[in-house]
Amino acid sequence: MNLDHFGMDTITLAGPLEAKLTAMRRGGFTQVMLMAPDIAGHPAGERAAVEAVRNSGLRVTGFQVLRDFEGLSGHLHAYKVDVAKAMLEMCHALGSKVLLVCSSTSAHASGDPDLLVRDLQKLSMLALPLNIRIAYEALSWGRFVNQYPQSWEIVEAADRTNLGLTLDSFHILANSTSFDALADIDPCKIFLVQLSDFMWHEVRSPEQRIDTARHYRVFPGEGVHSEQLTKFVQTLDEMGYRGDYSFEVFNDDFKQLPLIFVAERARRSVKWITGRVSRRSLPARRSAGM
Amino acid sequence: MPAFEQIPEPSNPLGLDGIEFIEFATSQPQAFGALLEHLGFSAVARHRSREVVLYRQGSMNLIVNSHPDALPGLSSPDSVPAIAAIALRARDAGFAYRHSTDRGAWEMPTRASAMELNIPGIHGVGDSLIYFVDRYSDFSIYDVDFVPIPGTAQRPPALAGLHYFGVVQSVLTDRTNDWVDFYRCLLGFSVLPHGKYFGVLPKGTLLESPCHKFYLQLIEPPPGAEEAHWDEGFVRLGLGAPDVHAATRALKVRGLVFVDHGAVQPSDKGALTQVYLGGVTFELVISHLKP
Repeated sequence: MNLDHFGMDTITLAGPLEAKLTAMRRGGFTQVMLMAPDIAGHPAGERAAVEAVRNSGLRVTGFQVLRDFEGLSGHLHAYKVDVAKAMLEMCHALGSKVLLVCSSTSAHASGDPDLLVRDLQKLSMLALPLNIRIAYEALSWGRFVNQYPQSWEIVEAADRTNLGLTLDSFHILANSTSFDALADIDPCKIFLVQLSDFMWHEVRSPEQRIDTARHYRVFPGEGVHSEQLTKFVQTLDEMGYRGDYSFEVFNDDFKQLPLIFVAERARRSVKWITGRVSRRSLPARRSAGM
Repeated sequence: MPAFEQIPEPSNPLGLDGIEFIEFATSQPQAFGALLEHLGFSAVARHRSREVVLYRQGSMNLIVNSHPDALPGLSSPDSVPAIAAIALRARDAGFAYRHSTDRGAWEMPTRASAMELNIPGIHGVGDSLIYFVDRYSDFSIYDVDFVPIPGTAQRPPALAGLHYFGVVQSVLTDRTNDWVDFYRCLLGFSVLPHGKYFGVLPKGTLLESPCHKFYLQLIEPPPGAEEAHWDEGFVRLGLGAPDVHAATRALKVRGLVFVDHGAVQPSDKGALTQVYLGGVTFELVISHLKP
């Protein structure tokens, strides 16, 4: 495990897309997780944003985020399918092989597992000709799916080659979900792992969880769940996960600091993780598909 | 019947019934047309307003689309003839379209279809389309858009019993299972047991249509090949023949050249033509199918 296995998210940094990409490269990173507003909101247009990403030399870890997709019906479902198609086309244009999809928070969505499975199957099919994999994440404040064992149940039931999981340490830690169920997951079906920590031990309400998630995350090694984070990465590594790790660090302070300062913190975090997690264990229990 | 009885989905939910036509796009329609005539096809009709010609041979309809906006995004076809669409016969084309799009197929992209008749279609591999046609027994869809070429037989017989057998599709590395999902979930295809192959190119993964009337062969790049030179798309049309030797003999007389060395030389199982027009080949396959 080394720096090449880790990437930064553009959401962590302030400034224009080109400046973020440059800072990541200067920080020594080789991959970037992109957020749709980086592209849609580029002052010179979407094509210029795609060009900037391609010219950066950074590999695209994935593209985020499709929200509130599954469980809708009628015109709401049709609307979200249109949104999904547009995001898939952006994802494809960027050369991203992964679209991150968060579990629904919509009050209008059903929690019927059969419907959730069907909708994710449909999304995977939409992504298939574009060679994009759907990485489904249990958002800790998701309405029906908010813990990774639930998202895994749905992904497993959907049984599509290009449908897998995103595991985000924040949501797992914030909901105090046990790591035990990781053992049930086929590591080939983990398409992305997002890492971050936060700085308080307890999250007392769903509102505080959302607030913390959106404003107060920190890099691994900077928060108060270092032991659990280490165990999380160690467990994934021992399971045979060989895919990407991306720092999903939403932090208001970092968004008003020099970009290279933040990128260097990210790089220190990689060192912190690789120093604590023993070298990638061999033999892998199952080989990962990434 | 008890209300809780689980009724499995039929194995051929769309009522597929073989290939209605194959559409090629090329900017060299004359040269490609000459090649098709060597293969036993005859030009039988021209489109009323577009640069599109209908060729026929026995049960096979083949459309050559060279209109400048023949491809999605209204781009021009390449000079190398490429399979741009497969039209599948279905019990109810509207149902087939809804069934597919409800399951995540992309509706047909904006393009000038070879046919002005409203034929529903979905996005296939690369720039290709998959059409659904349900009016094939009592009505000719070609009568709407095409004008017969005077003095030509409209139903030229098949040479040596040739008929549509299948299409070969290239896929990127590790993408076979994705495309198996595509054809299985949308159209009801099934994977043939590993090791069951037809023809002289036994590789990749073979899928059988739910009507048992044609096949798709998915091939990944050979190990070590540069993926930069390998894209996803339909790469070759396979024609079935009850007797491959008789078919190759008949086609050689018409000037067609077959690869005759290495692993792909003509045999009882099949034969492969040389590369024509910068990249197009045809494959003959021993076939039990009834055209």
